[in-house]
Amino acid sequence: MSPPVSSDLGYVPPDGGWGWAVVFGASISVGFAYTFPKAFTIYFKELQAVYSISYSQIAWVTSIMCATTYGGGPISSILVNRYGSRPVVMFGGLLCGIGMVSAAFCTSIMQLYICVGFITGLGLALNLQPSVIMIGKYFLKRRPIANGLAMAGSPVMLCTLAPLNQFLFDSFGWRGSFLILGAILLNCCVAGALFRPIGPGTTSVKTQVTVEGKGALKRDVTEDAMEMSSPTNLPMKNKTEEEGDRDCCEKINQYLDFSLFKHRGFLIYLIGNVLMFLGFFAPIIFLAPYAKHIGIDEYSAAFLLSILAIVDIVARPTTGIIANSKWVRPRIQYFFSFSIAFNGMCHLLCPLASSYTGLVIYSVFFGLAFGMVCAMLFETLMDLVGAARFTSAVGLVTIAECCTILLGPPIGGTLIDTFGDYKYMFIKCGVVMVLAGTFLFIMNYYNYHMLAKEEKERKAKEEDPKTVRTENEGRNNWIKETTQDGPELEPLREEQEGPKKEVNGIIEV
Amino acid sequence: MLAAFAGKCLGGLLLFCLYLSLSGGSSADPAMTTQDASSQSQANSLTNMKNELNESFLEPMATTQIVSWQTQGRPSDPVTLEHEVSVPGPNLATKESRQTSSQSITSVQYELLLPGASGTSVETTISLEKVVEVELTCILDKEYSYLKSFQVSWKRGNETISHTNKTDNSWSIKVSVSDSSKLGSYNCTLKGEKELSGIFHLQVPKIKGKEKPTISYLRDTAVMTCECPGYTAISWTWYMTNGSKQIVINESLLADRYVISKKSASITQLKILKLTKEDGGEYWCEATFELGKSEGRLELKVLSFMAPLKPFIAIVIEVVILVALIVCYEIYSTKVKRTEAEKEFDQIEHLKSEDGGLESSEARQRRI
Repeated sequence: MSPPVSSDLGYVPPDGGWGWAVVFGASISVGFAYTFPKAFTIYFKELQAVYSISYSQIAWVTSIMCATTYGGGPISSILVNRYGSRPVVMFGGLLCGIGMVSAAFCTSIMQLYICVGFITGLGLALNLQPSVIMIGKYFLKRRPIANGLAMAGSPVMLCTLAPLNQFLFDSFGWRGSFLILGAILLNCCVAGALFRPIGPGTTSVKTQVTVEGKGALKRDVTEDAMEMSSPTNLPMKNKTEEEGDRDCCEKINQYLDFSLFKHRGFLIYLIGNVLMFLGFFAPIIFLAPYAKHIGIDEYSAAFLLSILAIVDIVARPTTGIIANSKWVRPRIQYFFSFSIAFNGMCHLLCPLASSYTGLVIYSVFFGLAFGMVCAMLFETLMDLVGAARFTSAVGLVTIAECCTILLGPPIGGTLIDTFGDYKYMFIKCGVVMVLAGTFLFIMNYYNYHMLAKEEKERKAKEEDPKTVRTENEGRNNWIKETTQDGPELEPLREEQEGPKKEVNGIIEV
Repeated sequence: MLAAFAGKCLGGLLLFCLYLSLSGGSSADPAMTTQDASSQSQANSLTNMKNELNESFLEPMATTQIVSWQTQGRPSDPVTLEHEVSVPGPNLATKESRQTSSQSITSVQYELLLPGASGTSVETTISLEKVVEVELTCILDKEYSYLKSFQVSWKRGNETISHTNKTDNSWSIKVSVSDSSKLGSYNCTLKGEKELSGIFHLQVPKIKGKEKPTISYLRDTAVMTCECPGYTAISWTWYMTNGSKQIVINESLLADRYVISKKSASITQLKILKLTKEDGGEYWCEATFELGKSEGRLELKVLSFMAPLKPFIAIVIEVVILVALIVCYEIYSTKVKRTEAEKEFDQIEHLKSEDGGLESSEARQRRI
């Protein structure tokens, strides 16, 4: 059996077992976070009539909700770094429920903005990030599959939530529906309950580091009950540094790791994704209006979206499986850039589709491309920065993406209004995504190249004999064996200090 | 690409002519087409297209407008318009013409192409809101021009109307629709080797109500909207059905509870404040046009807050039970793990006291 410590987490993720329950919980959370704003649009017409407001005023509700969900990323990251995923998700679920239930009693549009937009949005933000973080904690070897399955929760939830919303609205009107939706959102708490904390201290005895004395064993057993989902940096630093000796930067970095902005892979991912999101969501929003524009009836246009969702459901786990294969996993960044560029190509070819069959084909390919990109969205980030720093990374990335996500559809809408033709919107989205894909491809090629160079340098340095080397050699051997963690070697270097010190401490004892 | 653009232009021109055919100031008119719900949404989408085209096309005005249908439907089915054939929309043209000749009545032409795709009879529904002079024409498809000898007759019910031969294979009648008595079904029959007929249904525009009931709660506000898209109603009246009687909702009567507001030329809204159980039931909105009245039906259901509360509580209980189950299972499995770990720990202690440290770790590794 290969040596147990295999990642910067400081422990071996189970890659199964309770992890699958975590994936199920994550898919519920992710599903609610992504689809709730979309499914909410059913209530727009009624709310417009009740409050005598225009469409753009009611559309602000979902805009605020999306903005808070993405903008609340850093808050999520800080809370997870401090308290761990489980309490944060349960609190998020509670917030969502409270938000929607109070929305049921609203008497003005301002109150709706706050209750539905802000409170529910914040609750969804506290759901989304921790779910993705937990997957990184529970999976390593099978992480792409786990990510694909968890992200597949989004289209599944869309397919169930949209008709459910319609049914609730027809049976209970909008106030009753909000009340019941609040209860349904409380199921996020169930998902949160599934997020059993995991960390170096809470793994089973069997998966401990090899050379250990009884002292270490006893310590880990008593630490079982403790929440150990904070990064391993923290307890290590406690042991080796004096208590009041931390400077301000490190203290902030403990909550939200701003040092990520020096991380090459993170910056590449950030720039590429921020660019991509400019053209990511607009085509979905305008697909049905475009279909109606070229003369297709409303039901067939809605069916196009259903086709997209069904293909999406299939595409996401499949992409996860493909990304997990030994050919793709080491070069997963290329696969990701390819899928973004493929997505862009679909949009560029869409204006050529002038009949219903053409649009159906476009929907199928769009669903496929969309699923591919979504499934790998967080997997690639985890791949680049490593699971320990992923907590902060995801928060910083989502708040940066927040701006372009919100800008994308209005820009598309302006293009449509100015030119009176949908094709310019599709061309814009296609061009943006192809550019983003190419950028990511080139920059990741450079990144892989630099990582390989750094790896060689590090190996050369570590050829010199030092005090306790068994651990490091074992780890190096493992690294040579499993090249799939190539990009994670950089953070691995930092983490090696930690366990090494632990070993040192034990031997001193 | 060019062909497509040319096709679009042509379609737009046809669209435009259709719009000019009906007077009216609002956005989309589905009433003229059929009772098919989907065509209404077609109308909306095409309205947008027409709106765009309106901006790009200039609008030469004429008092006479031509409307024609390609007959596609099955016999005695209302004609369903194809996608290319459009629906009327904002009618700047007629306004202009009305301004220039305020005394003249607009004249509209409607044509039917005989026969249909299959069968011998085609129908179409024309909605008129104002006093117009209508010219109805039946055109024989040139495919059937081999039919030489036939008799053409125009009828309304049993009453025969004299017609004029517009061309070799088209016949028309002029009807001055000045009041509701002139509305009805006009049909042209071609009797010969084959019997072909076309029917024009002239009627007031249909009101779009809501098929599904509006649901509201006690002491809450209910809002019900009626609209006749594409047409301007002179006035609106709201009725409430109490038992079998229809009561006019007079605003002055219950000023504090009923608010009737005219949102635009073709949309009316009834707002009921402080709902009670008795407010539930059928409501009617009636639009008065120059040529008559038209009604739309709405339903209001008033629920108490207990209704959604039951599913709410059920789901909350389900969530609590699930969370409790998961947490209990976790505590149970942690306990099991801990006892196992302690057992192993004791075993290791025992082994260590026997052998050296390395051998015990090897044993543990082997066990793994």
